[in-house]
Order: sequence, then C-alpha cells, then structure tokens
Amino acid sequence: MRSRSTDMRTTDGMQLAFSAVRSQPLRSVLTALGIAVGIAAVVLLTSLGTGLQRYVLKEFTQFGTNLLAVTPGRKTTFGMSGSMINSVRPLSIEDAQALASLPHVLAVSPTVFGNVPVEAGGKSRRCMATATGSAMPEVWRFAVAQGRFLPPDDPRSARAFAVLGHKVWRELFGDRNPLGEIVRIGGDRYRVLGVMEPKGQFLGFDLDDSVYVPVGRGLEMFDREGLMEIDVLFTSESVTDQVAAAVRRTLIARHGVEDCTVTAQQQMLDVLGSVLGVLTFAVAALGGISLVVGGVGILTIMSIALQERIAEIGLLRAIGATRTQLRWLFLGEAAALAAVGGTAGLVVGAGAAWLLGAFVPALPVAITPWQIVLAEAVSLAIGLIAGVLPALRAARLDPIEALRTE
Amino acid sequence: MKLVDIIGFSVQSLRSQRVRTSLIVLAMAIGTGGVVVLTWLGDAARQYVVGQFDALGTNLVIVLPGRNETTGAAPPLLGETSRDLTLDDAFALLRSPAIRRIAPVVVGGAMVSFGNRSRETTVLGSTSQLLPVRRLELAMGRFLPDDREAGEAVCVLGATVRRELFLQQNPLGEFVRVGDRRYRVAGVLASAGMSLGTDLDEMVVLPVVAAQALFDSPGLFRVIAEATSKAAVPQAVADVERLLTERHEGENDVTVITQDAVSSTFDGILQALTLAVAGIAAISLVVAGILIMNVMVVAVTQRRAEVGLLKALGADARTIQNLFLGEALLLSMLGGATGLALGEVTSRVLPHFAPVLRPGMPGWAAGAAAIVAIGAGLVFGTAPARRAARLEAVDALAKH
Repeated sequence: MRSRSTDMRTTDGMQLAFSAVRSQPLRSVLTALGIAVGIAAVVLLTSLGTGLQRYVLKEFTQFGTNLLAVTPGRKTTFGMSGSMINSVRPLSIEDAQALASLPHVLAVSPTVFGNVPVEAGGKSRRCMATATGSAMPEVWRFAVAQGRFLPPDDPRSARAFAVLGHKVWRELFGDRNPLGEIVRIGGDRYRVLGVMEPKGQFLGFDLDDSVYVPVGRGLEMFDREGLMEIDVLFTSESVTDQVAAAVRRTLIARHGVEDCTVTAQQQMLDVLGSVLGVLTFAVAALGGISLVVGGVGILTIMSIALQERIAEIGLLRAIGATRTQLRWLFLGEAAALAAVGGTAGLVVGAGAAWLLGAFVPALPVAITPWQIVLAEAVSLAIGLIAGVLPALRAARLDPIEALRTE
Repeated sequence: MKLVDIIGFSVQSLRSQRVRTSLIVLAMAIGTGGVVVLTWLGDAARQYVVGQFDALGTNLVIVLPGRNETTGAAPPLLGETSRDLTLDDAFALLRSPAIRRIAPVVVGGAMVSFGNRSRETTVLGSTSQLLPVRRLELAMGRFLPDDREAGEAVCVLGATVRRELFLQQNPLGEFVRVGDRRYRVAGVLASAGMSLGTDLDEMVVLPVVAAQALFDSPGLFRVIAEATSKAAVPQAVADVERLLTERHEGENDVTVITQDAVSSTFDGILQALTLAVAGIAAISLVVAGILIMNVMVVAVTQRRAEVGLLKALGADARTIQNLFLGEALLLSMLGGATGLALGEVTSRVLPHFAPVLRPGMPGWAAGAAAIVAIGAGLVFGTAPARRAARLEAVDALAKH
C-alpha cells in the first residue's frame, strides 16, 4: 500500500512540475530554446565530424585493410623521409620479388612516381607516370575499364606497354579508342594496352591523371635505382603482424641493416581514425560552450522560480510534502525544461544536418544513434545539474517562514 | 529622464537581484570569453605559421622539376621527371638580374656514422649560398666551401646529429661516414628546430656535387632562388620560366612556386579556420542573449506595479523602454567586460606554458567581442523593453 501511495505522489509531482513549466509558457520556451540552440549546434557539428571521419576512412579502406607498404628510410611516420627521394641503399625490384614469395603474401606492387610529358597524335600533356608491376590492379583494387593491364613481364626487361588513366585518355584521345595506339612517354614510345576506370584523387594525387608503365622502364625513365614504395597484399587482416615481421626479416637479411619502414594499412587507419575522433570531439566541445551557457540559463530561471514560489512551497510543506519530494519537484522541473529543449535541438540539428547532406552532396554528414542518445542524455544531465542548487534551497526552506512571506 | 538617471535606476535594480545578475553576467562572460580566447588562439596559430614561412628566407622563388597540367592540383612534390633539373640549369638562373642568389638542393636519406655510433638521417646537398638563402646559422666552424663545383669531401652537421654522434666531443675536423664515403666535419648548424614539418637539426649538409655522387643521381630536388626585392619576384618567376624553357629545348617542364603565394594561401586558410571556430563559439553568445531576454521578460512581469507607478507619474512609453533596455545593455556589457578580462588573462597566462603562442589579444578581437556583447544586449533586450513600454498605467497598477 505504501509503495502505491508513493507512486501516486511521483506522478503528482511530475504533473506539478509540468504544470509549473506550462504556467509560464514564454519563460519556459525561452529557457528550453537556450538548451535547444546548444544541442542543435553540437548535433550538427558532430554529424559533420563523424561524416568527415567516415569519408576519410572510406578513402583509405578502398585499398583494403590487408595491405602494407614498405618505404625506404627508417623514420617515416606520416611525413616523408628523404630516403623516398634518394637513398644510398635503395629498395630494389629484386627486394619486391623476394617479398612476393613470402607466406601469406598474395601480390606485391613496386612503385615509382614521377612527372612526365605524354604525347599522342599531336597532343601532349604533362602528368604523373606511375611505374608499377602487373599486380597493381589487384593490390590497389583499381580495375581496368578497357583492354587489360600490364603483362607479367620480367621487370628488368619489360616490353614497352602503357595503360592510361581515365583523364589522360580523355585529354589525349577524346572519345577515340586508344587500344593499340602508340604514345610517347618521356620521349620513349609505348603501346597502349588498356585504360583504367576513373578513381579520382587520393591524398592530392590524381590517379586518373596518370599513365601506368612497367616498373623497370620507370626506373630507367627517371634515371634512378630505387623504388619509392612496395605495396604488399596479403591473405587476411589476421596475419598482419606475421607478414609485417616476415617482410622486415627478409629486408634486413637482404640489406644487412634495417633501413626500411613497414607500415600496415590497418595501423594507418587506426592512427587516422583516432586523430579524426579527437578532432570531432574538439569541435563538439566548442559547441558545448553554448550548452554550459544554456545550463546557466536554467539555473537562473529556476532560482527566479524559487523566489516567486516561496509561498507555494510553504503550503506544500504545511500539507505534508517532505524535503525529498520538494527537491525532486524542482529537479524534475529543471530536467523537464532541459529535456524538451534537448529534443527540439536534436530535431533541428539532425534536420539541418540532413538538409546539408541532401543539398550539398559533397559534404559528408552522418547521424548515428549514439549521437541522439548522447544529446538527450547530455541535456538531461545539464538540467539536473542546473536544478541542484535551487532544489536544495527549496528543500531547506522553513514552511512557517515561507508561508509568512505571502 | 536623464541618461544618468536611467543608468542609476538600472544599476539599482540589478543590485537588488544579485544572484540573477551574477548568473547572467557569468553566462555572457563564458560566451564572450570563449569567442575571444578562440580567436586569439587561431590568430596566434596563424602568426606562428606565417612566421615559419618568413623564417625560410625573403622573396624566395622555389623551382621544382616537373609540371602538372591541371591547375590547382598538387605540384609534383616528389621531383622525379624524365628530364632532370641539373646543376647547370640552377646556375643559369643567375643570369636573371632579378635573382640575387640561388641554392640548388639535393635530398636523400643515408646512414651517418662516427666511431661505433650511427644514425639514419636526411642528407641535403647544396652550396655555400644555402646559408644566406635559407637563413641558417652556424653554431661552430664554417659552412660549405664557396667553390660551387667542387665536390670536396666536407660536411656540416645538424644539431641533433652532432649531439647523437659526438656527444660532448668537438666534431670539427673529425671524419664521419655518410653512406660508404668519408667526409670531414667543417661546421655545425645552430639548432633551428622544426620548420614546416622538416627537422633542420636532423640533417647532414654536403656539397651538392658530393651529394649527387653519393646518391648517383644528377637531378636536383629543388632550386631555391632569392629575388633581389619583393617587387622583383614576378620578374624572377618569368625569368626562371624563360631561362629553363630555353635550356629544356623549348619545353616548359618546371613548376615555380613563390614563397609569398604559399604563405598567403596558408594565411587565408588559417584565417577562415579561426573565423569558423570563433563563429561556433559565438553560438553561446546567442544562448546568453536568449537568457538575457528571458530574465528581462520575467523582470517586466514582476515589476508591473513599478511600471504602472512610473507611467502614472508621467513617464512616457519611450522612457520605460529605455529603462529596461538600459538594464539589458548593462547586463550584457558587464558580462562582455568580464569575458574580455578572462580572455585577456588567458592570453597572458597560457603562453607561459606554450611559448609558441604570442601573448596578448589582438585589438580587433577585443573590439569585435565588445561590439557583439553590446549587440546581443540590444537585440535580445528590445522585445521585453517594448513589452514593458506597452503596459497601460491603470492595468499595471490594478493587477497587483
């Protein structure tokens, strides 16, 4: 029986809190608006941040996660080591071939980049030349649109075949079929074997504005001995550490010292993911300043309400309401204001994010369920925190004194 | 009613509600302080980056081998082309009257060792001109010899390399091994720290010819040219393109970047970023403004009788409006001033812990914050003040 009567009182209390909120509509709306603006800002900003994070991770995972890169020089984390440009102990094509025979390794793609003039049929264009092996499409998950990719020739004496990037094909040949045509790349004649499908930019490199030539010919063209990178594709993510260790061992055995850096794609993704996560959090925290201000707003309004309702409190205490119940009454009112504001803010923020995503498709936005839950939880928490002081003061009031103020 | 009276009246009414007043001031101060501090941080970061670019040298024109057709795309930074930029190309640039001096640059990585200590570092090949062009300073000894074509086997060590290989020992005159060759240490660079992502202390400088031999590569990675004056930079760029096109059989296959262009690009990006961040923080000022409005609405209801009395005594609607608006303005100005003071203190204290940041608020940030604070008071104070002004004297007196 006792528990039932307290149940009744709880619902009564909630009703009382809501009627207090309703009795001053303008004031309540303005208070909730303060929280709503803050929550809307945070929701919008985090959805932009999360969207950006997903976009970047997608850019990287398009190459797969069962991939690792070997670069010359020992100190590259994200920056470029001088060894990528020149090195006394370069990474050679033979190193790449040695890595191909390791267990779990599916394919290996040695790479050198450079800038070359490409000429065909009276037109010429300066663009990137990517000198690589026949396994490149498999390693980079980059499909051929027309014809086929470079054949698996002996890399040191490969035939003069080239594959064009999508943009190079359009610029030099227009709509014409380029297969079998002769192009001049860096002064040498190459026969066009295929055209890659459009892939777009990656880290500032336009993969479509590039020609693909055999790696040995690339080294000759740029007059250099060493590769800039060897990409190793292996069976599955679960053997990453094993493969990385085997690659490192093989290269140390071949070079005598450890003079290369092995970076797993997964490792890169983890670092990138955490960096972007921190960034999203920082932006959300900036928006959070307005939530704090909104919280101060609730505190102000609740202390005004306390002042106005001293007589009411006295009456409630006189007819038997306990201190605890009064405390909850005020806390409930503050929380209700914040929750209403939070919901409104959530709707506006998510709506704005959705509209942005719909009208500016280039802008990645993502709204996740945890964002919604978190926004509501944060606004409730702010309401409760802001309500604590007025609630405690209300509970401490002496009923006789309170009644007398009327 | 005189202005002094209005202010006196407002101050009195604010003082009678201390808790309320201090809470609003707090809210406004958090908003203003946030905007001011973030603007200051953004501005400090911008100045830091621009300073880094200025520290590179003055009026620099940087020549990269290779050129991309698409404008706006990234320049060919890796520097591999089918036709190298040669040492002769570099020195040919001196024929331009707009160019004061040039420094060719070859970059690579190699193992550097002395005794039984060794270290993988960046190797830079250049000439004696690198020192003035790139504004480097020596800690001891001399820089590379002036004879530009000579591949004399000397080297200059970066501060970190020197410390790691020689510890406390004097390195001058000792021989270090770079790759598989030996070089006599001629000097040591003064510690310059990180500059735009490259660690200048983690470096060994060789004569350019020696570096080309070491890496067995005739191509230059960059040529850094210094124009005679700021006004001569466009002329220098045109001359570089003309001279190199002539030397490269009529083909323009180099990319020319000016220090100014790069620096102003970064300047613009960081400025936009600062504005965006300050804008996000300014949302809190809107929230604080809503709070002022809310409290003023409450005040108008609570002071109906007072308004009625004032009206009965002959105050017109305008006076009443000014009274309430004055109160709102006073609140927002108090809050704004507190926020500014908070920001100013932060901008003085924080640089003690992060010396990279320049202490002191930029004047325009403080001015903007003050204007925004007053603006918030005006915008959000007007509606409640109008409400008070519209009250009928009789009603207002009767209702209580």
